[in-house]
Parts: sequence; C-alpha cells; structure tokens
Amino acid sequence: MYEQFRDIGRDLYLGGLVSSHAGNMSVRMGDRILITRRGSMVGRLKPDDLIETGLDADDAMVTLASSELIVHRAIYKATSALAIVHTHPPHATAISLSQDAIVPVDSEGSYLLHKVPVVEAAKTIGSSEVAEVIPPALRDHKVAMLRGHGAFAVGELLEEAFMVTSSLEFSARILYLVRTLGGDLKEYRKSAERYDTW
Amino acid sequence: MGADFNLLNVDLGTRKSRIVTISPQSISDYIGGRGLGAHLLYSKGKHLGDPLSPDTPLIITPGALAGTGAPSSSRTSLTSISPLTGTIFESNSGGRAGIMLKRAGFAALWIEGRAEAPVALVVDEGGVRFVDASHLAGLGNKDTRRILLADEGEKHSVLSIGPAGERGSLIANVCHDGRFFGRGGVGALFGSKNLKAISFYGDAQIPIADKDSFAFIVGEAKKLIAAHPITSKGLPQFGTAVLMNVMNCKEALPVRNFRESSFEGASKISGEAVKDNILTGRHSCYGCQIACGRTVKVDGVEVEGPEFETLWAFGAALGLSDLEGVVRLNARANDMGIDTISTGSTIAAAKELFDLGKLDWDPLEGGLGGLLNLVDEMALGAGRGAELGDGSRVFSERKGQAGVSMTVKGMELPAYDPRGCQGQGLAYATSTRGGCHLRAYMIAPEILAAPKLVDRFSSSGKAGLVIVSQNLNAAVDSLGMCRFTSFALKDDYYARLLRAATGRDIDGQGLMSAGERIYNVERLANIERGFTREDDTLPKRLLEEPHRTGASKGRVVSLNEMLDEYYRFRGWDSEGRPTLAKLDLLGLGRG
Repeated sequence: MYEQFRDIGRDLYLGGLVSSHAGNMSVRMGDRILITRRGSMVGRLKPDDLIETGLDADDAMVTLASSELIVHRAIYKATSALAIVHTHPPHATAISLSQDAIVPVDSEGSYLLHKVPVVEAAKTIGSSEVAEVIPPALRDHKVAMLRGHGAFAVGELLEEAFMVTSSLEFSARILYLVRTLGGDLKEYRKSAERYDTW
Repeated sequence: MGADFNLLNVDLGTRKSRIVTISPQSISDYIGGRGLGAHLLYSKGKHLGDPLSPDTPLIITPGALAGTGAPSSSRTSLTSISPLTGTIFESNSGGRAGIMLKRAGFAALWIEGRAEAPVALVVDEGGVRFVDASHLAGLGNKDTRRILLADEGEKHSVLSIGPAGERGSLIANVCHDGRFFGRGGVGALFGSKNLKAISFYGDAQIPIADKDSFAFIVGEAKKLIAAHPITSKGLPQFGTAVLMNVMNCKEALPVRNFRESSFEGASKISGEAVKDNILTGRHSCYGCQIACGRTVKVDGVEVEGPEFETLWAFGAALGLSDLEGVVRLNARANDMGIDTISTGSTIAAAKELFDLGKLDWDPLEGGLGGLLNLVDEMALGAGRGAELGDGSRVFSERKGQAGVSMTVKGMELPAYDPRGCQGQGLAYATSTRGGCHLRAYMIAPEILAAPKLVDRFSSSGKAGLVIVSQNLNAAVDSLGMCRFTSFALKDDYYARLLRAATGRDIDGQGLMSAGERIYNVERLANIERGFTREDDTLPKRLLEEPHRTGASKGRVVSLNEMLDEYYRFRGWDSEGRPTLAKLDLLGLGRG
C-alpha cells in the first residue's frame, strides 16, 4: 500500500497538481482510514507519512493526520469511495474562480468527466463547511472542485482517483488554452450542448 | 397505481390468480429485478422451509430498465430458495420474458402451489391462463419451446424446463428463449410445482419519463461501451470464451477439478479456436450492442455456441480439449435442462475419485459418447448418472469424500482458481448464493485491469473492492442490465439511466446504497435459514493445498484475514450478522 501512495504522490507533485507540502490522499480500510501525514511532502512520502486512524472515532493519531481528515471521513461516510486524492490543480482551480462547473471540451475529459461540479465554502481548509459541501457533489461525480482551493477525487483505487484528477487538470488546461487562443470553438461532439446537464 | 406496481400472484394448486399492489417504497428501495425479488421473498418472512415445497414462491421480476432501450437491459430475474444451496437464490438471464411481462402490465410474477398435472402458464395483458402441459412432459427444451411458440405465437417469450427439472435434479436450470437461468437448481423449483413452462406476451409501450435526457444518456453510455476494449473487441469477437486463454496464461484456470492451474489444451477450446473453426454467427440478447452470443456449426448442425464457463466445465475441468465435443455436450445439457458448470464440475470430482481409486468406474472412459450418455443419465437420474445428477456435494458426501467437491454452500465453483486471485476467493466465500463469480467479479480488477489492475496475489484491500463490486452488481442486476456493461460504465451512469427512464430521484450513490440494501436483505434471508460464518468458506483444497507449479505456486487463499476485514467493512459482527446500526442505516431495522 505504501508503494501506491509513494508513487502516486510523486506523480502528483511532478505533474504540478500540488505544491511542495500541499495535497493529501487516503484509502478506506473498513472502519479505518490510511491518510497522508499533516505537512508531509506528497512527492516524497516515507512509510511514516501514512497515518492510520478511525473512520468515525478520533484517536491519538488524528494529531498527525492531514488537516483534511474531516473531509475525507465525510466523503467515505456519504459515498462508496475506497480512495480519495485531494490536489490543488492550478488550471482547474483558476477556472473554478469564475465558473460553477468545469465542462471539458477535449475528448478524454468529455468521455471521462462530462462535467465537474464546483462548490464553495468560506473556510476552505479542513473545515466542517467543506465536509458538508463536498460529499453531496461526489454522489453523482467522481471529482468535484472546491472553489479557489482544489479538487477532491474518488475511486475504488488510488490510481482511479489520480486518473480523474489528472484528467480534470488536463481538461482545464485545454479549456484555458482554448479561451486564450480565442476564436469560435468548432464542435465535434454529438450532444455536447447537454454536457453541462450531466 | 400503474403497471410498475402490479404483482401477478398465481397459485398453481387452486388455479387462481390475483393482482397485488407493490408499494412505491418497495420499488424505490429495491429498484426492480433482483432487488425486488429479494425484497418480496424476504417479506414473506420465516415461513420458507423446504425449497421444493409448494409453499415456496418462485418470483420473476423484470429489471427496472427492461424494455426502455437502455443498453443491454433485457435481463430478467428469477428468485426463490435454492434446492442446491438452501440459500436465497436469484438467477438472471438475457431474453425477452421480463420485457414481455412488463409490457403485459406487471412488475412481478409470483408463483406458488403445485399443479396436479404438468401445466404451462401463459401470461399476457389479460393475466394468466393455465394450459395443460401433459403433452410436453418429458420433452427437451428445444421441442417444448418450439411447440409452445407454435401454439401461442412466435412473438412470445418462453421459459421452460427439460427432463432434469421435471425430475427435480438439484442442478437443473430453466431455459429462457434459448438462454438460461442457470445455477442453483432453479429448474427443480419449476419441477416441484409441476410447472413445465411459462409463455409471456405483452405489447404495451414502456413509458420513458424524460425522453430527451434518456436518449442523451443512452448515447453517452453506448459510446463508452463501444470504446472499451473488453466490450467492443474481446467479447464481440470471441464471446465470453475470450477468457480461456487469458485465464490460462495467468495460470489461474482450474484444471482437473482444481488439481492444476493451467491447461495444455486451452488454446483448442478457446474463443480464438471457436472463431477460427466452428463459428457461423454472432448474436445478442435484446437490445445489446456487445453481442457475446455465438452460433456454431458442428456435424452440419447449427447450435448455440458454448460460453467460457461451459468450455471450461466440459473441457479444462475434465482435462479434455475436444472443441466439437464440448459443443455437443453443451447442446445436450441445454436440451435436458441441466446446468453445464455444475454438470462438468461434478464429473470432474468423480474423475478425481476414480483416479484416487475411490470410484470403480471412470467417467471419461467412454469418450464423447460416454459423456453424452452420462449427461443424459445425470439429467434423468438414471444409471451411473443417478449418483452425479444432484451435483458434486451430494455425490461426494455419499462417497464419504467431501473433499473433492469444489463447491461453496453446495454450489460448484466456476472457472477461476482463487489461489491465483485472492479477491475472487473472498467473493466466492461471501456470495449470497454460493459458489458464484457473479456476485462480485474480482476477475475484473485482478485479471482484466478493470477499472485498474490490482495485485491479484495480495489479500490487502480486497474486502472493500469485493463489497463495492457486490453492491454495484446487486444494483445492476436490479436494473436488468448486463454485468458486462460495468466494464465501461460507472454507478452514476446507471443512476442517470434509471432517473431519466422512470423519473425516480436517485443518484450514483443512491444506487450503490440500494445495492448494499439488497445484499444485506439476501444476507438476512440466509441467516434466517441458518447460515453462519462457518458457511462463508471455501473448499479445503483452496485453503490448504497450494499448487506445486505455476504462477500461484505455494499459494492458498488467505480467507480468514480477508473475511474479518470484510465483516467489519460491511458493518456486520464477527459472525457475519448485520449489526442493528447497519440495518437502521439501510432502512431495514425492524424496531
């Protein structure tokens, strides 16, 4: 399990999806959670950077767990997710500041995501407010954006959550490039006008 | 209340029928198909005893999306108590019965009692007719279907049993428009009621709540199915038999009664061999773009091609690689109405006993002719087949050699050796219907990299994956959609389809929660029937006898550690009983 955290964490950092000490990941193991350590460098995770604590109840290890533990717990309780990846993808985060949803125009994002909802909270880090707004957004989507903060992605495996995170940021970057280049978008997708209803 | 809530209750003993209204809450909580069947059966309470008693109901439920045009959504559920396993048992099959039943105005057909003489039921918009079936008694499925279609109309959908079901073989199945409600001896349930066949017809339109949205979501779903290599290449080109070479090269193919894990003759009975040598056509269940069905020609006769499990059961399981022989054995078993997995696996157990000197006749001695005869005798309960005709548990226990029965809860395991895929071992042990790969198909992540490849030899993290798979599959079965679609689609796609088709307020997580509720109801039913943690196990061979060669060399299934985690994850106690807190959470509390 450590190897999965280490490898995906490295890719998150090298892929520019998190800054040096930002982002976190977890997996659910029954009534327990294995989550990255508060302040750990996800690009350089060591075995001691994985903290095990309860899904419901606090124990001493919560002092070491990621500050987003409350959000991870809320997601696990509200969904069937077995893994969560939380990142700060720059292009997706930038778009979240002006849009209520990110609707990809590229092929991969259209297939995989259709639409990524954007929700917001005044207290954006590890707050009960975030724990309230993110889980509902993940009931029908595999990734959701917290406005101005970043992405919460879920899957059965860390790799799946990483995949949708990576796909989201690529789609957001393409959206950014399309808008920067200007001009009319030549639509190539059938029913694309309905994607924002997904 | 409309057709979505009508249950047609038929008593074969009194020859009376009535329409009962199903509550909207039941439909909301249990979706349809498998879920609704489990709910209706469980609601009958603790009165269910002997599966073959006239009082034991047989419930047929269309999937919630039957007839809507959702991709691969024609599967129908048949729910009762299995005479083979003693568990609650749902078998589902492609075919048109569910669609016809729904078009006739019914969300469920409930059959109980026992007819005095062989009977066939004709179900249509007018309700039910009882038709004398004395002239059909003893006939195979092929002739029964032909005669009923001639009598009732070619557009009807027909369920029937062969001689195996009529005599009450514990491994008899039910033919459904040429496909099968397999496993668990469901054919014996028909036989115990003197019910030879059911013919369905309905032509009412199935309404769609939001046509535009539904068309959009169907289009998006079909696009993904068409883009996934398993559903767009592997299954369409080679049928389910595409798995033969895959499992063999992973050395996780059970060979010679699970004594070996790879088969020297696998390529001769593979999907590629079928395609290259005997294939004459592909076909699909109603409304399916995958079209995994095969038509093959042997000895100048076109017949239904064998599925992967059948190629395994009459091939690798017996150490045989006679492709045309498997086709003929499949055709014979199908006509006699006996489950091919259980039949092949039971013969494999007998062969092992012979090899051990514990049986004085060799089941393979007579070659193909001998095997064809043995299949007949197993179906009829005659000759040497009488010993084998109720499955390998009954056979091996009679011989005092229970260890050769490769069964879970009495049902023969299919074509995946869990010593080479640990999660599948947990899936087998915790299946609510016994030795089955369909309650949780861990071959998807452990072998086929769907959604992603996991370490198949590790037991770590498998409990969660098994649970998610069991819950999702329970929901997909309740929609009536083919399991193969889940290679390409996620829970939210299924929920969107249901939402647009029916107007029900449900999202992806709601669908998963319904699947969890269904799985727990099945578990509760089994607990009430006396099943405990001790039954959540595997044949001793898989727990204690490692392979001596191959990729799985030295490995057995690490079941106990996975099982403890599985129970905790499920919110069940250490004996595998759902806790009150879990039941309350699922709306199943009885307080």
